[in-house]
Amino acid sequence: MHRAQQRQAVLLGHLSSAAASAAEQHTIAAQPTAAGDSAAYERRAVAEDDVVIVSSCRTALCKAKRGGFKDTPVDDLIAAVLKETIRRTGVEPEAVGDVCFGSVMGPSSQRANECRIAMFLAGFPESVPVHTVNRQCSSGLQAIAQTAASIRAGYYTIGIAGGVESMTTNPMAWEGAVNPRVAESQCAQDCLLPMGLTSENVASQYGVSRETQDAFAARSHRLAAAAQAAGKFKAEIVPVATVLKDPKTGEEKRVVIDADDGIRADATPASLGQLKPVFKKGGTTTAGNSSQVTDGAAATMLMTRREAVRRGLPILGIFRSFAAVGVPPAVMGIGPAVAIPAAVEMAGLSLDDIDVYEINEAFASQATYSVDKLGLDIDKVNPNGGAIALGHPLGCTGARQTATLLYEMQRRGKGARFGVVSMCIGSGMGAAAVFERGGEVDNPPRGPVASQLAGLSRDAQVA
Amino acid sequence: MPGFRTQFQGYSVRFSPFEETKLAVATSQNFGIIGNGRQYVLQMGPSGIQEVRVFDSVDGLYDCAWSEENENILVSASGDGSIKVWDLAAPPEANPLRSFEEHTHEVYSLHWNQVRRDCFLSGSWDDTVKLWNLAHPTSLRTFAEHTYCVYAAQWNPQQADVFLSASGDCTVKVWDLRQPRPTLSLAAHAYEVLAADWCKYNDCVIATGSVDKSIKVWDVRMPEQPIATLLGHTYAVRRVLFSPHHETLVASCSYDMTVRLWDYAAPEDALVRVWDQHSEFAVGLDWSTLVEGLLASCGWDEMTYAWHMDADPRTA
Repeated sequence: MHRAQQRQAVLLGHLSSAAASAAEQHTIAAQPTAAGDSAAYERRAVAEDDVVIVSSCRTALCKAKRGGFKDTPVDDLIAAVLKETIRRTGVEPEAVGDVCFGSVMGPSSQRANECRIAMFLAGFPESVPVHTVNRQCSSGLQAIAQTAASIRAGYYTIGIAGGVESMTTNPMAWEGAVNPRVAESQCAQDCLLPMGLTSENVASQYGVSRETQDAFAARSHRLAAAAQAAGKFKAEIVPVATVLKDPKTGEEKRVVIDADDGIRADATPASLGQLKPVFKKGGTTTAGNSSQVTDGAAATMLMTRREAVRRGLPILGIFRSFAAVGVPPAVMGIGPAVAIPAAVEMAGLSLDDIDVYEINEAFASQATYSVDKLGLDIDKVNPNGGAIALGHPLGCTGARQTATLLYEMQRRGKGARFGVVSMCIGSGMGAAAVFERGGEVDNPPRGPVASQLAGLSRDAQVA
Repeated sequence: MPGFRTQFQGYSVRFSPFEETKLAVATSQNFGIIGNGRQYVLQMGPSGIQEVRVFDSVDGLYDCAWSEENENILVSASGDGSIKVWDLAAPPEANPLRSFEEHTHEVYSLHWNQVRRDCFLSGSWDDTVKLWNLAHPTSLRTFAEHTYCVYAAQWNPQQADVFLSASGDCTVKVWDLRQPRPTLSLAAHAYEVLAADWCKYNDCVIATGSVDKSIKVWDVRMPEQPIATLLGHTYAVRRVLFSPHHETLVASCSYDMTVRLWDYAAPEDALVRVWDQHSEFAVGLDWSTLVEGLLASCGWDEMTYAWHMDADPRTA
């Protein structure tokens, strides 16, 4: 008889009813324990066909036109993150079923072709297809959602989803004429509003003061600077070897870009308060409390959990849900306030279950509004700064936020189980996705064999 | 003072013979059925009981004993049959100082000789009692007469060579190191005897505690009849301890979760106090030899308390 059973038997002997007096006839006998796993919340719904993320990386985010990637072709950015994804996972490129990149401002066909070129530059064989997706600022997240859905639908098992934007090469612009028929619909007209004006609309309609916006912006810089100094971005950033051209002499200098260059560690509400409003006279939205225009790329690799286990790949995160919603274009910034509850509900959770939020800081006005409207704990929101400090490379952002979120959750360990990535979308939409931290599953029992655990409750911890 | 919560279930608590405020608590994971063990060294202070040191062990710890000759030496009885020797003055890497591995089953009891001070006894579920000296790598003597688990082995406080052993074979045996066989085999109860102790003021009087819920006080010169039978516990009696300061005071703890104080001088009215601070089996108990009336108890509710016998354990 095993030791544990022997000890139970000895103890039972001490409580033997044979020693009970006639008055007390309790029968004490060993029962198989009905006690279940008391840590019910910790038990994870682990399904073999969960879509999991095994890799998530990004380039540094650099200021458009003046930053580290101002002379870097877009395909180099894409190739860098693709190559890194393959390097981190060890997955052979030919096993990838499809590649999807979010991209906003680049000309549609040309950008899709640039992605294809980048794949070849990254060493992918011609057998792996690629496509791009555009839902404005959410494109990077949309790519991830679509790839997850495709894996779920059984189109393929392994997919790479990412996002890219070079606002140096393709600044925000409207090409060609505007259809006069937009006059027929207020919403149609509002689609043409500059993003900054939608920010002013949110600020005035929902009463977000200049001071609040500047404070939020300073917070973004402070947290991003602290995170950068603490080396928190090292896990997600892939250094990119590129060149910087001196605009006057044309001289090319070889550099390695591995740090976000938009962060202003010295930004304070006071210093930001000095800036003038840029979108509306007497307004509250300034260059300091808006996101920066930026170059960057990011990529994640998704696969089924079955495949990840088969390959022995550590799981960074689990894709749980996604929601895209529509909101009035004039106040497009409120998107997260509508999209987040939708995605969270679809994941079968409540807002209280979410431990970390990555809410894109298109403008301090809308980010603040979204946090307040949902009653979120600000300490859970963008703990490593956001787009105001880091930049908002449109098509890349969703995938960039995912990388930052997943690594933050990994750092927190059991302190963070669920996280949300969300953003507002120009022309009046919002998108959000719920991720679960990976890395821990119901571990198979180690050590003592079933017979040795007989009679113990399921949460008895055994060395 | 407020109790101290250990991480594992408490099995034994012992006051240090050198420092009034120091306590050792032997604990086991998962109620000692399976898992690791942890030896705590605690300090009583004005704001409660604080942890001073912890030592982790592979298997559960069922008893501990302080050395009578060195204030830093502590021994623990382990479920894997080993006896661990800890040195509080040594760094963590040097601990355990020694692991005596001779018993083939759980070691359930340890008691250090208070007269000779250099040797100690271990009682084990392998039915034997062993005599040890730290200077010697192996046991000095093995006493194998019991036919079932030995639950307790206690030295006589005045006679350096005399000790008793209490066993699940329902007997208590009195031994003398100078004799090869027990000098007395007392059929103390009809059920397993879980605890026994010597009176500190009369070297012929012992108390025994049993699964039959009773405590009996005996004079070993008259083994046919107990001097007194103390009834009151509603489950098996786990420990009985004579007070070091009052001849007829006996403290006991039981699976009924209570700690009780008895005065057998008046056997009809023997029960003096009942303390119910524990919410699980109360299995560890000790009197302080340095502070009159000071008691400590520990139990499966992970709580350890130290209190004066005239006061309430939770607030004293």
